[in-house]
Amino acid sequence: MMMQGSKAWPAVKDAAGLLRAPQRTLPLIRALVSDAAGICFAQPHLYSYSKTRRSTEATLEALLRWIFDAQRSDGGIAAYYSLLSGYSSSYPEVTGYLIPTLYDFAREFPDRAVASEAASAAARATDWLLELQMPGGAFPGGVRAVPSQPSIFNSGQILHGLIRAHSETDDSEIYRAAVRAGDWLVEMQQPDGSWSGPGAYQSAAHVYYSMVAWPLALLSQETGDSRYRDSAEKNLDWVLSRFRPNGWISGINLQGHPDYLHFIAYALQGALECAALLQRNDAVEVVANPAWILLRQFETNKFLSGAYDGSFTNGHRFVCLTGNAQVSYVWLRLFEITGDLRYLNAALKMNEMVKDRIPVQGKPGIVGGLAGSYPIWGCYQPLRYISWGCKFFADALLLEQGVKRSFDSSLVGALACAS
Amino acid sequence: MRIVMLCSSVYSETACAVAVRLADMGCTPAGALSVSTFNRGTLLRKLGQWGVKRVANYARTKLSSRNTSKPGRIQNEHLEPWLTRRHAVFQNLNQVANVYRFPVAITQDQNSPRAIAALKAWSPDLIVFTGGNILRREILGVPSLGVLNVHLGMLPEIRGMSSPEWSLLNGVPVGITLHFMDSGIDTGPILRKYEFPDLAHCDSLADLRHRLIAFGVEKLGDVVAALDRGTIMSTPQCDRNSASRGDNQYFVMHDWLQERAATLLAQPLRQPVSETVHG
Repeated sequence: MMMQGSKAWPAVKDAAGLLRAPQRTLPLIRALVSDAAGICFAQPHLYSYSKTRRSTEATLEALLRWIFDAQRSDGGIAAYYSLLSGYSSSYPEVTGYLIPTLYDFAREFPDRAVASEAASAAARATDWLLELQMPGGAFPGGVRAVPSQPSIFNSGQILHGLIRAHSETDDSEIYRAAVRAGDWLVEMQQPDGSWSGPGAYQSAAHVYYSMVAWPLALLSQETGDSRYRDSAEKNLDWVLSRFRPNGWISGINLQGHPDYLHFIAYALQGALECAALLQRNDAVEVVANPAWILLRQFETNKFLSGAYDGSFTNGHRFVCLTGNAQVSYVWLRLFEITGDLRYLNAALKMNEMVKDRIPVQGKPGIVGGLAGSYPIWGCYQPLRYISWGCKFFADALLLEQGVKRSFDSSLVGALACAS
Repeated sequence: MRIVMLCSSVYSETACAVAVRLADMGCTPAGALSVSTFNRGTLLRKLGQWGVKRVANYARTKLSSRNTSKPGRIQNEHLEPWLTRRHAVFQNLNQVANVYRFPVAITQDQNSPRAIAALKAWSPDLIVFTGGNILRREILGVPSLGVLNVHLGMLPEIRGMSSPEWSLLNGVPVGITLHFMDSGIDTGPILRKYEFPDLAHCDSLADLRHRLIAFGVEKLGDVVAALDRGTIMSTPQCDRNSASRGDNQYFVMHDWLQERAATLLAQPLRQPVSETVHG
């Protein structure tokens, strides 16, 4: 997710990277020209949607290759590849939630050579994360090169990875690390169910910390300990209280930044998965409201704004590709939960659109990567291909594959019933 | 009754068939207002969607169809009863207008002040919409009776795009609805709806659409006649809450789902496919 307090200094550092490695100039110009041409010719039309000839399998493999390339020698995965400064250092948060994605890929394509590569990448990532755990059970925030404090959000995302790593390996060390992280998160929770104060980004409470509640609900299932479930449910209730009747979600709460679609989608995804795990149909209904508003916007305008200013009607004119991938995932899950085919339909179109934005050629760090924004100079992670974008899009495509399979088998069943 | 037609292009076969249908029953349109076939927006959109090669082919097709000396080929064979006259085929609305003597005006935007002024000059009782822009309130208020649309789905269950395909996947009867337009998408008062009787004869989704369009042209004539006689009343739709997820608006169907809908043509379902899994 990666936010920066001051925008100026990282931008200067990034630009200086181009002086150190002038060979990056050509790919930079190519990306700028390509996106400028793209937006010049794109004329969204009510009766159309963007289509690509790229298969889902090929795209998934390209995304996975990008992630392999981004895995650093320490086992952690870089936050991003910048067109100006190259790869960042390893990023604990994203390394954590990439673990389930890597294992999901290995499961989806067991016969491919990259499947074992994915599983071993996940194992190396897990080993690196275990080294980072702090004495109290927390995990640090920020990229590894920067000394930092315990982080609630990062601990939640790493917990997600550890739970999956344990279920894949049955390693008791991973289990103990997950429980320690879970205990720390429960301890840090505020009485109202939110997480704020030390360890929270800008010390404030954020609705997108539903992405912390989700792994706690998972941990409860894994351990049978109801404390984690109670904590997850308490946060879910707090998050739901921020969903407004007009569909808007207040409490993204990023000072100095607009409400990026990425964070809105985090809030939706975390709350929806929590609701599903906790069997809270009321919560599914609440989450479906903004998800439906976004669906209507996407179907009508053929794109979703990359950021909003306090309402879904005040959108910024750029695309946050990661947010799009996450929203697609939420729609696919809502289709699975509600059976409303319009969610599946919108997700299929969204995935086509995002597929179309993945470079099919270029150097490692570019080819197969997902840019922060479209056009690439948009205000979310400009001029960068980001690892969490690849993660969320891979998740959406993997889910799409599963949903398509179950749809086809249900169609066969329905036809058999009708005959 | 004075009727004016709105159409998406003078090359629209549906518009030609509707004009002939109306004229044959003694209600020759007082005029037709068509969107210009070539404009900058369309060209850029098609370039973005299709690429240069396909756009060039498209332009060649359109230009060649202007050559009236060549015998024409009807895209929708089910419209043939209206499009064929003494072994000749109406190629465009101008030819229909020449035979039945009504004016055809061209506009870039049917909602523009000039377009609305042209419509008002024809002082229509009824506007028949066969395609074009999304209509704004001002244009909807021009005719005394209303703007009539044929929707290829059963309202209020299935509103919006790809209605026949959504009907198949959702286990809803396939059919058409004749309704007055309002500012929403297919939310206006309903005049008549008809379930489509020939589903079993359709061999593809394109064929289904073609047959539904022809079915709509036929039934449009019946409804216009009933309006003329004053023997038909419109009924408001009950489900109009477009702000809620419970609304019935559907959007263009993705190809993958269309392929699944096509498999249901021969064997329509009585419930949505998804319900067999999700209960």
